[in-house]
Amino acid sequence: MATTDRTRPPQYLGARVMRVEDPRFLRGGGQYIDDIALPGMLHAAFCRSPHPHARIKSIDVGATRQLAGVRGVFTGESLKELVGPLVTGLDHEHIRVLEQRVLPLDRVRHVGEAVAVVVATSRYIAEDACDLIEVEWEPLPYVMDAEEAMKPDAPLIDDSIPDNNTLHLDYEGGNVEEGLAGSDRVYTRKFYFGRQSASPLETRGLIADYDAASEMLTIWMSNQMPHLTRTMISTPLGLPEGRIRIIAPDVGGGFGLKAHVFVEDLIVPVLSRQLLRPIKWIEDRHENLAASGHAREIHYECDIGVNEDGTFTTIYGRLLGNNGAYNNYPYCAFIDVGMGGNLLPGMYDWQHARYVSDAPLTNKCQTSAYRATGMVVGNSMREIMIDEIARDMDIDPVEMRLQNTIPPDPYVNALGHKYDGGSYAEALKKAAEALDYEGFRQRQRELLEDGRYLGIGFSTCVEPAGWATEHARAHHWGEGFGTFGGYFDSASVTVEPDGSVTVTTGLHSHGQSHETTFAQVAADALGVRLEDVRVRQGDTASAVYGVGTYASRSSVLGAGTIMRAGADVRAKLVRIAAHELEADPADIELYDGRAHVRGSPDKTIDVTQLAQLAYFGHTNRPADLEEPALTSTRSYDPPESYNNSTFGAIVEVDIETGIIDLQRFAAVEDCGTMLNPNVVEGQVAGGAAQGIGMALYEEVCYDEEGQLQTGSLVEFLYPSMMEVPDIEAEHIETPSPVTAAGVKGLGEGGLLTTPAAVVNAVADALAPLGVALDRLPLNPGYVLSRIRAAREQ
Amino acid sequence: MKPVRFKYFAPETVAEAVARLEEYGDEAKVLAGGQSLVPLMNLRLARPGVLVDICRIPRLDEIRRNGSLSIGATARQRAVRQSDEVAAAAPIITEVMRWVGHPATQSQGTFGGMAAHADPAAEIPAVLLALDAELVATGRDGERAIPAGEFFSTWFTTTLAPTEILTEVRIPASASQSRSAFLELARRHGDFAMVGAAAVVELDEAGTAESSRLTLCGVGDTPVRAHGSEEFLVGRQLDSATMQEAARMAAADLSPPSDVHASSEYRQEVAAVLVRRALEQIAADT
Amino acid sequence: MATDAEMAVRAAEDFRIVRLVVNGEARSGLAEPRTLLVDFIRHELGLTGTHVGCEHGVCGACTVRLNGHLIRSCITFAVQVEGQEIETVEGLAPGADLHPIQEAYQEAHALQCGFCTPGLLLATQSLLEENPAPSDAEIREYLAGNICRCTGYTNIVRAVQIAAAKL
Repeated sequence: MATTDRTRPPQYLGARVMRVEDPRFLRGGGQYIDDIALPGMLHAAFCRSPHPHARIKSIDVGATRQLAGVRGVFTGESLKELVGPLVTGLDHEHIRVLEQRVLPLDRVRHVGEAVAVVVATSRYIAEDACDLIEVEWEPLPYVMDAEEAMKPDAPLIDDSIPDNNTLHLDYEGGNVEEGLAGSDRVYTRKFYFGRQSASPLETRGLIADYDAASEMLTIWMSNQMPHLTRTMISTPLGLPEGRIRIIAPDVGGGFGLKAHVFVEDLIVPVLSRQLLRPIKWIEDRHENLAASGHAREIHYECDIGVNEDGTFTTIYGRLLGNNGAYNNYPYCAFIDVGMGGNLLPGMYDWQHARYVSDAPLTNKCQTSAYRATGMVVGNSMREIMIDEIARDMDIDPVEMRLQNTIPPDPYVNALGHKYDGGSYAEALKKAAEALDYEGFRQRQRELLEDGRYLGIGFSTCVEPAGWATEHARAHHWGEGFGTFGGYFDSASVTVEPDGSVTVTTGLHSHGQSHETTFAQVAADALGVRLEDVRVRQGDTASAVYGVGTYASRSSVLGAGTIMRAGADVRAKLVRIAAHELEADPADIELYDGRAHVRGSPDKTIDVTQLAQLAYFGHTNRPADLEEPALTSTRSYDPPESYNNSTFGAIVEVDIETGIIDLQRFAAVEDCGTMLNPNVVEGQVAGGAAQGIGMALYEEVCYDEEGQLQTGSLVEFLYPSMMEVPDIEAEHIETPSPVTAAGVKGLGEGGLLTTPAAVVNAVADALAPLGVALDRLPLNPGYVLSRIRAAREQ
Repeated sequence: MKPVRFKYFAPETVAEAVARLEEYGDEAKVLAGGQSLVPLMNLRLARPGVLVDICRIPRLDEIRRNGSLSIGATARQRAVRQSDEVAAAAPIITEVMRWVGHPATQSQGTFGGMAAHADPAAEIPAVLLALDAELVATGRDGERAIPAGEFFSTWFTTTLAPTEILTEVRIPASASQSRSAFLELARRHGDFAMVGAAAVVELDEAGTAESSRLTLCGVGDTPVRAHGSEEFLVGRQLDSATMQEAARMAAADLSPPSDVHASSEYRQEVAAVLVRRALEQIAADT
Repeated sequence: MATDAEMAVRAAEDFRIVRLVVNGEARSGLAEPRTLLVDFIRHELGLTGTHVGCEHGVCGACTVRLNGHLIRSCITFAVQVEGQEIETVEGLAPGADLHPIQEAYQEAHALQCGFCTPGLLLATQSLLEENPAPSDAEIREYLAGNICRCTGYTNIVRAVQIAAAKL
C-alpha cells in the first residue's frame, strides 16, 4: 500500500490540546444515563436482603398491588423462565464455574442481594412498593472471613463448590524453594489489604426499551464496554446480538465497575420485554456500596529471599482473597488474586518468583474490578516489604531498590512477562530528587529531636498496560472471559464528503478524554485539523465492534487502530491528490487539511476537494482507485507493553492521635509516548487520589452479624480536596519499541503505585518507635494502636 | 433512596407550628434546614408522616446581642459563622463553625437544628454545653428556658416535649469574657467528630483559672461535661502538669461508643489529648 | 411524558404546583412534598446538568445555589424553596461564550468524566464571590464538600486560581 514519507513532525500527538468534550460538560450538557427520559418510561426498584445468609421461605408481594402506580412485581420464581443465569468463571482449568440466577430462587447470600423487583410509574412509588413486600426468612449460618470460609466445617455458600474455594492458582518462574534455601536471609511478612469499592460518582444504571414491532431491544447503560456487554447478555436474554443495541452515553466514572454484567443488567431488559414499556433503573448509593461490587480484600503473606549484600533473589506470595457470595461476571476472583500475584516482580531482578492464590466464597457482596485490581495489592506487598527489609538490614531503601533494578532495556521477568524497556532506575532517582531526598533526611532528623515524626516513602511499579491477547496469555488469563476470547480492539476512520473526519471506536471514554486524544491521533494520521475530526463511541449501532475500555488499554489500542485505519485513508487521499496535482505521490504531503506538493508551494488542494473527487469525482479520480470511499476499519492486538513509575510521599504522623498528614506527593511516570500530557497528568493525579483513599480512608466493613457498616458515604470515605495534597507530576518518555507510536498506556499506574509510597512514609516516620504496620487502610485508631503496641514492648 | 410520603406544613407563626405538632402528635417532626433529617428520610431511616417547616416563620432566624447573645433557631449556620455579633459575644462559636460541615450545608442548615437534632458527635451541642447556654422551648403555654446541661438526654433525643419547638439559643454575656478553644479529630475535614473538645476558661490577671467548662463530643450518648476536670482547674495556673492532669481526668471516666471510624478505646485516649491541647491553646493565647 | 393514567395517579396524590425562579426565569412544576429539589430540577424542569451522586448530602454533585448561596439539592425538598431563586450550572453562561470559571476548568484540565463538575463550578463561583483571591489552602477548604473521583483535585485547584485571575 502506498504511503508517504512524513517530513513534518506530528502536530497534535503529544501536544497539550484542550479537551473538545469539555464545553458540553461545563455547560451541564453531558448526557448521563439518568438524564435520559423516554415517553411512557417506568421505574424499577429492588427489594433487597437484610440477612447475610438466609433461606427464602416465602415472598408475599400482594400488598404492592394495592399501591397506585405499581405496574409489576417480579421475583426469582417469576423470572426463572424468562432469563438464563450468569455462568461465571474464566475458561481456565483452575477456576470453578458458578451459576447465578438473576434473582435467587431459594436463598440469599449477602446483605443487599436483590430478591424482588418492582416496576412503577416513579422511583418513589417503586420504593414504596418494595417496603410492602413481605419475605419470610430462615436465617442460615454465615461466614464473612476468608480464612474461616476455607475451614472444613464452614457453611457452604454454593452447593456446587464443596470447599467454598472458587479458584486455586499456582504459578512459578525459576525455583522458589531453592531460591529461598540459597538466600542469606528470608523475610516473611503478612499484610491485610482492606475491602474496597470502586464507587464512581455516578452509580450504575440502565434504561431498557423493547420494541415489539421491530423486536429490537435498545439499552442505554452506564457502561465501559457496550459491544462486549451486548455479546455477554445476548445468550441469557435469548436474543441475537443483531436485535440488541447498547448505547453507553456519557458515563460518570467507571473504574472497572462498569466493565461487568450484573444481575440488574439482565433483569431490566426482561421487564421491558414483559411490560412493553421503557424501564429505567438507577442504582442508588446504598445499593452501590452494598450490592454492586467490592474489591481487593486480600490476606497476603510473602517471603523474600535476599543476600547479605542486599541482592534480591526470590519472591513468593500467598494470596487469600475474599470473593464474596458470587463470582463477578465475567472475570471472577482472578481479577484480584490472580493479578495480585502477577504484579509481584515489579522492576527488580528476581531469579525466582511464585504465587499461590485462593479466593473462597463468603457472605459478602461479590468482588469485582476496581482500577488497578489486585495488581495494586501485589505491587504494594513487595514495595512495603522492601522498605522493611532495608530498615532491618540498615540499607537505604532507595539504594536497595537501585541495586536490584533491572536495566532499561527489554527484559523478561521471573514470571515470564516481556517488559518492553523503561526508565526504571531513572524514575526512582527523579522522584527522590523531586522530594529532595537528602535534604529531607536532614530535616527529618532535626524535627525528630523536637518530637515530630516525619517520614518519606517511595514505591515503584511496572504496570501491564495496553491489555491485549499477549498480556492475557502471559498473565494466565486462560482462553478469555468465559466463552468470549479476544482482547483486540477496532476503529474506523472515514473522511466524509465535506472533508470532515469521523472516527468510530469500540473503546469508550468515561473521563479518559478519547474525544480529544483519539482526534489528535486521527488528525495527525490524515494531516487534517483537529477541529475537523469527530470521535464517535459508545453505540453498538454506529461504532465498529470492539472490546471496550478497561485495564489501561485505550490509549495503546486507540492509537494503534486509528493510526492503521488513518494510514489507509491517507494513502487514498495522496493518490487522488497526486493525480489531481499531476505530481508524484511520493512528493505529496498532507497537513493542515491540505495536500501539498513538496517543492511546489503553489500546488495544493484541500481535503474537502479531495473528498469531493473521491465520492463524486467520477472520471477525475485515478482510474485504478478501485474503492473510492475514504474509509477504513482496522483492528489491533498489540504485544505486551508496560509502563513504569515511581511515586514518593512525605508524611507527618501525630503520634498522640494517629492522624497522618500527607504533606507532599511526587509522581514520576513513564508511559512511553504521551498522546496528551494534560490527560496523562490527570490520570496520574486521579489514580493517586484513589490510592491515597486506599491507603488512608476507604474501606468496606461488615460487622460480626454480617451487616454492612459502610452503606453510605458517611461511613465509606472518599478523600476530599483536604485529604489529597498537590500531586507533583513529572514525566519521562521511553517510547515502547513494540506498540503503535510507542504508546504504553497508564490508566491504573497512578493508583497502583500510590498506597505503598504512603505506607512506607508512615512506617519511616514511626521507625524510631519500632512500629510495624500490617493492614490497610491506616485509619488513626489502627495507627495509634500500633504505636501503643510498640511502646509497650 | 427516596423518602416516604408525608404531609407538609409551612406555618407562619410559632403558635401555628405548635398547633400542628399538637394535631399530629408522634407522627410529626419539625423541619428546619433539614441537613440531618432529610438524609435520614432519604435512607428511610426516618419516616415522619408530617413535617412542620419552621423556616417560613418571620424573625425566627434573628441574631441579637443585648448583654446575652440570642440566636434564633432558624438562623442559618452560615449567618452564624459570618456574624460579627456572634464573634464578639462568643468567639468559640465562630471558631467551631469551621468544623461544621461545608459551605453548602451551612447555608441551608440551621444553628438550632444542630442543637435539636442532638447528635452526640456534633460540635455545636458540645459548645453550647461549654458555654452554659440556654435553649428556649416554645409550646402552647409559652416559652421555657432549658439549660444546655438538661437539654440533651440521649442519642438524638432532647428534653423538648413533642409539642414544643426550639425557638432560640441564648448564650450568657460572660462568654465574651472567657478564653476558649475548640479542637476535634475527624476522619476528613467537615465530617462529624470522632472526638471533639471544647474548653471555656476564665482566667484572672495572674493566669489562675476562676472558672472552667470542658466538654466533649463523640464520646457518649450526649455531649459530655468533664466536671471533675473543671473543678480541678479552678484556682490553678494552666501549667503543663495541671493541664495534663485535667486532661487525664476528663477522659478517665468516659465510655465512648465504637463505630466504623473509631473504637471506644481510641476515642477515650484521644479525648485526653484534645482536652490537653485545647487547654494549651488557651494558655498559649494568654 | 406521563400517560393519562399516570397523571391521574399524580393528581390523586398530594402533588402541588411549585414555582421557582430558575436562572432568572420563572418556572413551575408539580411536586409532592417529598419530591427532592434535585429530582424536581432534573425531571420536572428538565435541567439535567445538576447531578445526583449520593442522595444523602455528602458528595456535592447536586450542588446548586439558592438565593445566591450554595445548597445541596438532594437533601432539600422542592416545597421548602417555593418562590425562591435557584441557580444551576445551565445558568452560568447563557450565551455562546463560556463563563471565565468554565474556561479555567477547561484550560487546567480540571474535569474528566464531568459528573462532579457542575457542582464544583457553582462552588467555585461562590468561593470567588466571597474571596476573590483565595490561597490554595482556602480553595481546598471551601471546595472540600465537593467530591471528585477522577481528577485527584490538583487541576481543580489550578483552575480556581486561573479563574480568580480572570475575574
